[in-house]
Amino acid sequence: MAIFRPEDEEKVRELFAALERPVELVVALGPEETPLPGARDIDFGAETVRVVEELAALSERVTHRVGAEAERYPAVFIRPEGEEVGIRYDGLPWGYEVGTLVGAVLEAGRREPSLRPESLEALAALDRDLAIEVFVTPT
Amino acid sequence: MLLAYKAALASPRISAAGIEASEFPALAEEMEVWAVPRIVVNGVPQWDGAVPERVFVERVLSATFG
Repeated sequence: MAIFRPEDEEKVRELFAALERPVELVVALGPEETPLPGARDIDFGAETVRVVEELAALSERVTHRVGAEAERYPAVFIRPEGEEVGIRYDGLPWGYEVGTLVGAVLEAGRREPSLRPESLEALAALDRDLAIEVFVTPT
Repeated sequence: MLLAYKAALASPRISAAGIEASEFPALAEEMEVWAVPRIVVNGVPQWDGAVPERVFVERVLSATFG
């Protein structure tokens, strides 16, 4: 089953075509934790590869490959121009979270950050490393 | 989630990961994930819920790990 409805796929195709720089999606596969009972009985790693392949098929600006080490599996690293900049998604991105992955690609594809000047100024003063983890549940 | 990615793209000192809670139940339990999104910084839960950019930046910069 396609991950987008035809009208959404066309929209994403257009957005990807406008990326200022190419973005690579790298999937890390490895041993998976047992999900909660009631979670769909699927191969999360294989499905993650499928989602990433479908996204990469929408534009020459988005490429993908499989093969990386990660803290947990599956994981998708989002790398502008193939460079690791510290943004990733852990787990199978499906439902609403496919939109999150698309959003991540769009942001990574920008040459300039899209935060407001005040935010950028505040972040520039950061004097320590911050690892942000956002726990989500696809609906 | 996107704000976390934007922050990570804007700063070499910041990394951001979206984590699907139901696929990593042991981790979700450790971080006491009930409501989503739950924002964790450097392994310490900070808050639940989506917030606007200014609030997100303020909270991330003033995150405490004590």
